[in-house]
Amino acid sequence: MANRRRNLFILSFVAALVVASVVVILSKPTVLGLDLEGGTELIYQGRPTPQNPEIQGDDMDRAIEIIRKRTDALGVAEPEISRIGEDSIRVGLPNVENAEQAIERVGQTAQLYLYDWEPNVIPNPALTNVSEGEASFPRYYDAVKLASQQEPECFEDECTTSGPSYYLFDEQTKEWIAGPAEDEADLLAQTDVADGKQPPNTEIITVPQGTLVVKKEGEGDQTAPEDPNAAQWFVIRDRPSLSGDEIKDPKQEYDPTTNEPNVTFDFTDSGREEFADVTQEIAQRGLQNAPPGVGGDVELASQYSGHFAIVLDDEIKSRPIINFVENPSGIDGRTGAQISGIGQLDDAQDLAEILQIGALPIDLTLISQSTVSATLGEEALDQGLKAGIVGLILVCLFLIAYYRFLGVVAVLGLGLYGVFLFALIKLIPITMTLPGIAGLILTIGVAADSNIIIFERIKEEVRAGRSLGSAVAAGYRKGIATIIDANVITLITAFILFALATAGVKGFAFVLGIGTIASLFTAVLFTQAFLGIFGRSRYVRSPALFGASEEQRVRWRFDFTRASRIFFSMSGVILLIGAISFATLQLNLGLDFESGSRVSVGLERDATVEEVRTALEGAGIEDAEITEASNDQLGPNVFEIDSQIEPDEVQRVQPALDEAFGIVPNGFNSTTVGPTFGEQVAESAIQAIIFSLLVICAYVAFRFEPKYAVPVIIALVHDILITGGVYSLTGREVTSGTVAAFLTILGYSMYDTIIVFDRVRENVPRLPRATFSQIVNRSMSEVLTRSLITGLSSVFLVTVLLIFGGTTLKDFAFAMMVGIASGTYSSIFIASPVLTHWKEREPAYRKRRERIQEQMGRVPAFPEENVIARLEGEPEPTAEERPAEPEPAEPARAATEPEPPERAPEPSPVPGVVPAPPGPVAPPPGPAERPQPVGAPSDREPRPGRPEGEPDGGDGQAEAERPELSEASAAALRRVREQQAGRRQRKRKKHGRPR
Amino acid sequence: MAALVWFTMGIAIWHFTVFVPDRFRGGIVGAFLGAAAGAMVSGAAAQIAQDQGIGETDLATALYAVPGTLVGLAIVYAMGVRAGVEAEQL
Repeated sequence: MANRRRNLFILSFVAALVVASVVVILSKPTVLGLDLEGGTELIYQGRPTPQNPEIQGDDMDRAIEIIRKRTDALGVAEPEISRIGEDSIRVGLPNVENAEQAIERVGQTAQLYLYDWEPNVIPNPALTNVSEGEASFPRYYDAVKLASQQEPECFEDECTTSGPSYYLFDEQTKEWIAGPAEDEADLLAQTDVADGKQPPNTEIITVPQGTLVVKKEGEGDQTAPEDPNAAQWFVIRDRPSLSGDEIKDPKQEYDPTTNEPNVTFDFTDSGREEFADVTQEIAQRGLQNAPPGVGGDVELASQYSGHFAIVLDDEIKSRPIINFVENPSGIDGRTGAQISGIGQLDDAQDLAEILQIGALPIDLTLISQSTVSATLGEEALDQGLKAGIVGLILVCLFLIAYYRFLGVVAVLGLGLYGVFLFALIKLIPITMTLPGIAGLILTIGVAADSNIIIFERIKEEVRAGRSLGSAVAAGYRKGIATIIDANVITLITAFILFALATAGVKGFAFVLGIGTIASLFTAVLFTQAFLGIFGRSRYVRSPALFGASEEQRVRWRFDFTRASRIFFSMSGVILLIGAISFATLQLNLGLDFESGSRVSVGLERDATVEEVRTALEGAGIEDAEITEASNDQLGPNVFEIDSQIEPDEVQRVQPALDEAFGIVPNGFNSTTVGPTFGEQVAESAIQAIIFSLLVICAYVAFRFEPKYAVPVIIALVHDILITGGVYSLTGREVTSGTVAAFLTILGYSMYDTIIVFDRVRENVPRLPRATFSQIVNRSMSEVLTRSLITGLSSVFLVTVLLIFGGTTLKDFAFAMMVGIASGTYSSIFIASPVLTHWKEREPAYRKRRERIQEQMGRVPAFPEENVIARLEGEPEPTAEERPAEPEPAEPARAATEPEPPERAPEPSPVPGVVPAPPGPVAPPPGPAERPQPVGAPSDREPRPGRPEGEPDGGDGQAEAERPELSEASAAALRRVREQQAGRRQRKRKKHGRPR
Repeated sequence: MAALVWFTMGIAIWHFTVFVPDRFRGGIVGAFLGAAAGAMVSGAAAQIAQDQGIGETDLATALYAVPGTLVGLAIVYAMGVRAGVEAEQL
């Protein structure tokens, strides 16, 4: 009655949760990631500045705050700005209209410095016909070269750089390639070279601290404004008089005399004094330099007056004159100052906005950029949803077909699982990304497997003769430990992925984790309560309704341990091929690891690959690999362009192609990864794999025993190497999504191995005379059906992903397909045999093996064939022969239950003896069919009803009387019986003589 | 990449130790460690001797691991024999 109340309470609670979930689903929006909604994702890495030589957490927070203000100013709705790791920031800009402007604005450092110009400028010695203050360099290389010849200095510790700056130029053409960078490694990271080596025919130039190369105001080729080779440059001493921290209230206004847009600002108190001092100095210097008679003539005086340069991020914004006639004592700064000559109104507004928001406390380098059009995002969402729905339907159909009534209950559980998970996704809210959808679909498999484990147990109990009600109770009681162990493994994997992996994979990990928890609730609590209430109905009393007819259709009887030689050899050969493939073909590492850019673009007009190449070369992109592609969403003229250009250069591609061929609306998609981000992705992947292995193995060692953890590691290594080998052989691209799939494979393989080991652990105390290989064989034959069914349901899901998923989902699915095959295989044919080999060396198991070998001349594959030992009246195993076994699931009862007494064997008649062929054969009788040992307590439960770990006489009487024996065993049995009969006859003759 | 090649090669060869009577010190797991360590050591030694970078691999890179693996296995086996480990053949 108490159980019924409990079950009713759970069902009521579930009903209430369903109502609440439906309300959440209907009232809350689903947050879609950029890959589904369309938009631009930018990943920046923070670098120290002289003001912040070491990046602190506060600096990152301040930088995020400033970026948020900048994106708000851009009018971006709901920007996603988050910190990644210690020094990186991810900025998601959904449906941003002008990606180029956004990229430029968001990451701009906006460090403003004001310089007393004439004393600090180092003139171009080649220009003798202009004043020193105007002697700029037409070529960047020449400016940098002159700067490199200066002595290092840091005047009054006010340098704007923390050390020397490094530049890379082409040795022949003297064209700029990269820089400035704070060290050579950073400089080379900006290039496309492998292994951090300097590219051939290049020159690295080092500019010492204290000297800057700054861009002349209003300079730059209009077609390539970011190209340093197209601008003019000044070399200056890095002695700023004021910094951006000393200005306030910047505003865009109009110059009252010229009516041109400008930016005005005020000074802080300290800034005002500094400004007054420096302008006074400039004015006095101008007066000293002017010839006599200039005083009073403002126009003439301006020719001799000094300048005050306003420099923003190494670019001169303005160089106003401090006219000594107009301001003989300088400017006191109370009326502020202005930056004029900015150009267009938009430029002035942008500058004012940047100054208002303030400078970033750190330098930000764009290391990855990805732009997805809304059209492609919508298509990806459709594909993901379709894959999820079809996968769910297939799994439901399979469960119903195989488990019938239980399958219907499982489907109900899966339906509830879907409702709860969707509500959680909306409630938290979880940003749904494509990897997240993959995680969601895979959790369907996890949820289904929890049911499969329990249902297989229930079927065992039903076949053993239990009533359906008690079979359900026993099935859940026995299955729960296995399910918890297996799900904890999945949760650990998800947690480590979430903590260590990069942004896209985080979504996958989060959904996997939440889904696993939700599945535990629905697959265990709900289905148990449901079966507790409705499973007792008279309409569902037939075992056939549970898919558990009297005879099991398939029962495995296979000497897994002996066959392990064959499977080890197979694995060895596969790995040999893999090793050779790694060596010769290597891995096709994708953009995430190798860096570079990939653009997918739909053109309005027909174009050939060569025409596209020509257009790109016109924009300075010369190393592009261009292929025609097909994508219905992007129209008939779709091209994919792979190039080794930097994240901030990819924006040159869009205008070049738009001008040449026109781009269809929402037809430009790009992904760019800088070398730094590629390294981060690779590092985080390796860390995630190593941490997963260590934590999972620690868990296995804790839950089982340390010896169980080592085969698990070996099996996982086997899976990773085989999956990697398949990727190498097939040449498929390895992306960060593949890494997530790899990690899921680890979880999956572990999950499968745990199921097998759990049954081994359970059988060890039940079979106190069996060798370890026999225990493993028995355990494997018991769980193989479950492994295959789980594998099959996962294969359904993965196949659906392969068929309906887009590029990203297919990427996951392929890795998962290989991993599931390898994981199922390794848990059966690698992990268990390794455990067997290792455990068999323990003295107790060695003794058991020797005894059986001695008595039978061989060691049978299964413990029920150990007839002879019993016939010979062997005593129970001694304490020495009993190995230190892992704790059984219910150790207390196992320890207290008395072992049934030994008795003389009463083997089945010979006609019941059947050979044991390899492979699936007719089933041995279920536990309930086995005769009970003589002397067993009369009120004892039938064997299968006993709790786990309860001894049943080991491979004792019950095992001895099993009818299915191999021919050799049967022959041996006959010989022993004949000997015993002879001995009894001789005794009778001896004692039966007349007294 | 070269390290991955050597490790995979070592593990591949280890799989065939099931055909050898198990007198390895530490059993099949000891053999695993011996094979992996031997493969890495001989692979690295050969790669350094050839003055090749860790990222440069070819067929020879895979073969460099073979002698090390065999030596590693032999050492673990010899340790087992010395320690009096009895042959285990399942």
